[in-house]
Amino acid sequence: MGEVIVITSGKGGVGKTTTVANIGTGLALMGKKVVLIDTDIGLRNLDVVLGLENRIVYDIVDVVEGFCRTKQALIKDKRFEGLFLLPAAQTRDKNAINPHQMIQLCNELREEYDYILIDCPAGIEQGFKNAIAGADRAIVVTTPEVSAVRDADRIIGLLEANELRNPKLLVNRVRMDMVKRGDMMSIDDIIDILAVDLLGVVPDDEKIVISTNRGEPAITDSKSVAGQAFRNIARRITGENVPLLDLEADAGFVHKLKKLLGLKTS
Amino acid sequence: MGKADVTFKATINGLILILKEDDDFQDIYDQIDKKMASAGKFFKDASIIVKYRGKKLSAHEEDKIRELMASKTGAEIKSFKYDIQEIHKTHSDNNAQTSKKFSLKKFSYFNGIKEGQTKFYRGTVRSGQLISYDGNLVVLGDVNPGGEIEATGNVIVMGSLRGVVHAGADGNREAIVAALNLEPTQLRIADIITRSPDEKENKSTYIPEIAYVKDDTVYIERFLPLLK
Repeated sequence: MGEVIVITSGKGGVGKTTTVANIGTGLALMGKKVVLIDTDIGLRNLDVVLGLENRIVYDIVDVVEGFCRTKQALIKDKRFEGLFLLPAAQTRDKNAINPHQMIQLCNELREEYDYILIDCPAGIEQGFKNAIAGADRAIVVTTPEVSAVRDADRIIGLLEANELRNPKLLVNRVRMDMVKRGDMMSIDDIIDILAVDLLGVVPDDEKIVISTNRGEPAITDSKSVAGQAFRNIARRITGENVPLLDLEADAGFVHKLKKLLGLKTS
Repeated sequence: MGKADVTFKATINGLILILKEDDDFQDIYDQIDKKMASAGKFFKDASIIVKYRGKKLSAHEEDKIRELMASKTGAEIKSFKYDIQEIHKTHSDNNAQTSKKFSLKKFSYFNGIKEGQTKFYRGTVRSGQLISYDGNLVVLGDVNPGGEIEATGNVIVMGSLRGVVHAGADGNREAIVAALNLEPTQLRIADIITRSPDEKENKSTYIPEIAYVKDDTVYIERFLPLLK
């Protein structure tokens, strides 16, 4: 029996889609069978981030409307064995499916796949309700900004009201140099406010922009710090105990050298 | 007293009046009166079916308007009732309804390839928009990624074609796709689906190209001779 995990945030642009693409790829690289579902109907992006846009023939609306079989709509990833995408429709809107249909779909996919990751649209309307309907677990993505944390708090409340207890928190786009200067909220500040378990911290990394534009998840790039963070998160999802990444490692050459020599840093 | 906004729309099935939800009945009545007077005896002796959308009128109000129209135009108003099919909320919604109405299992398909009904669409087809037509389709503009165009006949794009295109959508493999710059996300002709290669080639100049089917394969070639 597979597990259905919804990745949500409330606020837009914090990195839900990037997270889904990377964690999904990470799990597939670990030999799991993974389906990624894009529920952002009308504003789909996951297919572009994965570089699978030109393979779409059927989408999630075709599946729930019985226009095609679920198998037909699943797009097999071109690089990773065991990774599949169920794309959203672009010419329809969120009302084209309902929570009941999502539950059925999730239950069907659960039979055959290990992990089903749902990319939730921004907002708390119909799209959000659809996305969380069939989920067993939730991951809330936020960035260290007051507005994003505020929205995350609202989302956690809504998830709990919908029987999705203990959502895990993923803090994206953290810049350690700014946190140190006191210009950015620290992870502890965020946890203080939200009072949920931390799943992982992903540093701000310009490689993410490059990989997103190319349609190749950053997790495959061994040099990317964000990629490393996502690899750890994927392992944590499977139940492994992986320590948090030392984000100060990217603070520069002098810093690294000092550390290497055992000198006191900062 | 505000002036009501009444739009007249002629369809194959008759006349449709589009009323504003929050307009007063008396204003609407006056407005129709005025418009009918300006139409003169255009509808004389015709027998027409009239439907209306927007504000729902009472049976009494319906009768009043029906009487008014009959007396002003001299036409026989066969019926006057509320149009159940609500106005399509958005353009894309409208298209979504018609999408996939062309079934490949039809016994006969659109064969106006050499000459036949054609729709001209002017403007950019953006992501999420779907232009669909039972006939040939000409787009005077670009088709962006995420945009879809679908026709039972040929598709011609006078611009860059970067979205999804489906020509011969009800099964005619004779249909062609042509564009001033042909680099679609996906190209479908009848039941054959192709997609662009994953490696993007950087074209500096636009070359008009045409896509057609021969022996179950889509061929793409330039349709203008090389300029010497």
